[in-house]
Amino acid sequence: MKVIRKNKIIRSDPKENPNGTPLEKTLDIDLGTQIIPKERYTSKEFMEKEWETIWTKVWLLGCREDQIPDPGDYICTNIGRESVLIVRQRDGGFKAFHNVCMHRGNRLADEGLGHAEPFVCGYHGWKYDSDGSFADIPDIETFPQGKPPCNGLSELPCDTWASFVWFSLNVQVEPLEEYLGELIGHFEPYHFERMAMTRWVTAEWDCNWKASVDAFAESYHTAQTHPQLLWYLEDLDLQIDLYDRHSRYLVPFGLLSPRVESVGEIPPPLKAMLHSAGMDPASYEGSMNDIRVAVQQYKRETQIEQGKDFSELHDEQLTDDFNYLVFPNVTTNTHSDDLMLFRHRPHPDDPNKMFFDIWMFELIPEGEEWPPLPKHDFRPAGSSRSLGIVIDQDASNLATVQEGMNSAGFPGLWLSDQELRLRHFHKTISDYVGE
Amino acid sequence: MYVAKGASVELGLKGKRVIVPASTKGILRRVVDQLIDEGCDVAICSRSEETVARSLRELSGGRGTAIGRACDVNDKDDYEAWLEEMIEQLGGVDIFIPGVSAGGGADSERNWWKSFEVDVLSTVRGCEVVIPHMEESGGGAITFITTTASVETFGGPQAYNAMKGSLLVYAKQLSQEVGKYGIRVNCVSPGPVYFAGGVWQMLKDTMAKWFAKVEKDHPLGRLGTPEEVSNCILFLSSPAASWVSGTNLIVDGGFTKRVQF
Repeated sequence: MKVIRKNKIIRSDPKENPNGTPLEKTLDIDLGTQIIPKERYTSKEFMEKEWETIWTKVWLLGCREDQIPDPGDYICTNIGRESVLIVRQRDGGFKAFHNVCMHRGNRLADEGLGHAEPFVCGYHGWKYDSDGSFADIPDIETFPQGKPPCNGLSELPCDTWASFVWFSLNVQVEPLEEYLGELIGHFEPYHFERMAMTRWVTAEWDCNWKASVDAFAESYHTAQTHPQLLWYLEDLDLQIDLYDRHSRYLVPFGLLSPRVESVGEIPPPLKAMLHSAGMDPASYEGSMNDIRVAVQQYKRETQIEQGKDFSELHDEQLTDDFNYLVFPNVTTNTHSDDLMLFRHRPHPDDPNKMFFDIWMFELIPEGEEWPPLPKHDFRPAGSSRSLGIVIDQDASNLATVQEGMNSAGFPGLWLSDQELRLRHFHKTISDYVGE
Repeated sequence: MYVAKGASVELGLKGKRVIVPASTKGILRRVVDQLIDEGCDVAICSRSEETVARSLRELSGGRGTAIGRACDVNDKDDYEAWLEEMIEQLGGVDIFIPGVSAGGGADSERNWWKSFEVDVLSTVRGCEVVIPHMEESGGGAITFITTTASVETFGGPQAYNAMKGSLLVYAKQLSQEVGKYGIRVNCVSPGPVYFAGGVWQMLKDTMAKWFAKVEKDHPLGRLGTPEEVSNCILFLSSPAASWVSGTNLIVDGGFTKRVQF
């Protein structure tokens, strides 16, 4: 759809607002205009390189801290061909281990949440304490060499950030804080710990994990894929920030896209925004494009009575989408009242498949009761159950994108400046993979 | 052999003086375009000075003349002053086509007040200004733009449907009252009308499933166009409809399912 005007977007001046989530636009860097070879999405060789140089080297997202609140609570989460246990410790901390019994290699747990004091291997009954140490090896006297010298489960680096637990398959990995780099300080003002997890879904998708990341890191597809969002957000004038390995863009919400004009009525998505802020759409007399600022002001003025503390957030964070890619595979739609977090996991051995995790969180007003933790909902490939309209629209492209990428007629990705984050994503991948 | 008797249908609108409030967009704008093509002199308005100026530029050089200025139809004093001003500039008024609306919505009580003020009260105020002038010049035609949402359940209970419905009642009873002055009063009730920049374009994007259902519910398989509605508004407002008063013309491609006796 054609662009019919330029929206005037009001943004806070980073110099006058030095605290909170950094607002500065990063310096433009020249990433060239080269084609991105499609083999990165389709070849097993490249997938193997990613495994060797990325997945087994970087920090990865494991779970929310409050998913495993008590000592002995654990989550078992798979990444590629590996399976990892993250366990709450007696001192309140976390430890991560390879999910494998040191006796004959059996898996100790299935994917999902559980409680184990101790972990018991289902094969011969080896037992492990929640700190990973051997608790009991049946008939230990029949092992002339004694117990394995490792003293327990194979431990992995584990740390926390912004209410989440992170782990790495790389025992030599740099500290998490160093890995996150410039992102430290970006999420803290949102206070994710005040948000309750409300949804936990994993969908098996027929595409490469990067095709899925790509779908959430550019706004160029909005007009064709999500036409309803043109009546809700700015899809063109976005601030794109490229960090060392991570990136973000800031998407103004609460106005009409420059591709559509006001029809005199408030479109349903903007009405929903007013409603959820506690405002009456029928009483709103301003223009469609001033809804963004009106909502910001209203939320700011009423935050105390609504039991919400937005004092550390900038005005634009009260409406806009601060959309991050925490390399390699976590994307977030970060909002003042909710967080939509997606984890894009590779398949163990097929570059044409992946696992898409949806973790949704909602800010719980002070004094209000928290909902129970959501149960894990798994959607096998081909499931027709809706994941929500926007994600359904994205998912509907991905299987055919993957099919097309495998076509002899397609050499690779031909990217625009609107897709600069994809180019940066591939540059980071190149830095790791070494090509 | 048939000899032409000069009996083809002529709208007879040439030279008519017409007032169409809030008419820079959509169906009402199409009405203005057609009136200018028919050779009418037309007064238009919108809340924005810039929009009026642009519309007047676009309408200049046609068979008829367009005049107008920015006016808030919702502001009694401003609106009544605009009407008197336009009547004076046009040298009278033959046709009045009020169709302004606050639109749909069921958010709060405020929707009811807005629909009453914008849809109903502005129409009543407009009629009260134009009728004495029409009476003085020996007649005229008033055509309200109403909606099929008033004659069948549509889009949930809401102020828009009910308030537009009240205009059907008012139009009928007004037609009885002012007939003696040679004034006809009618309504045109369009069903869903699609055009770029219209509400139904927005609904196609934002409520795609519902839009598809509405479209499918049309026997002709599509929504109407502004022109198809405008054609009917011009007819009812023209001398060609001299024997039509107090009626409500449904223009919906057969969308409504009731039997209309």
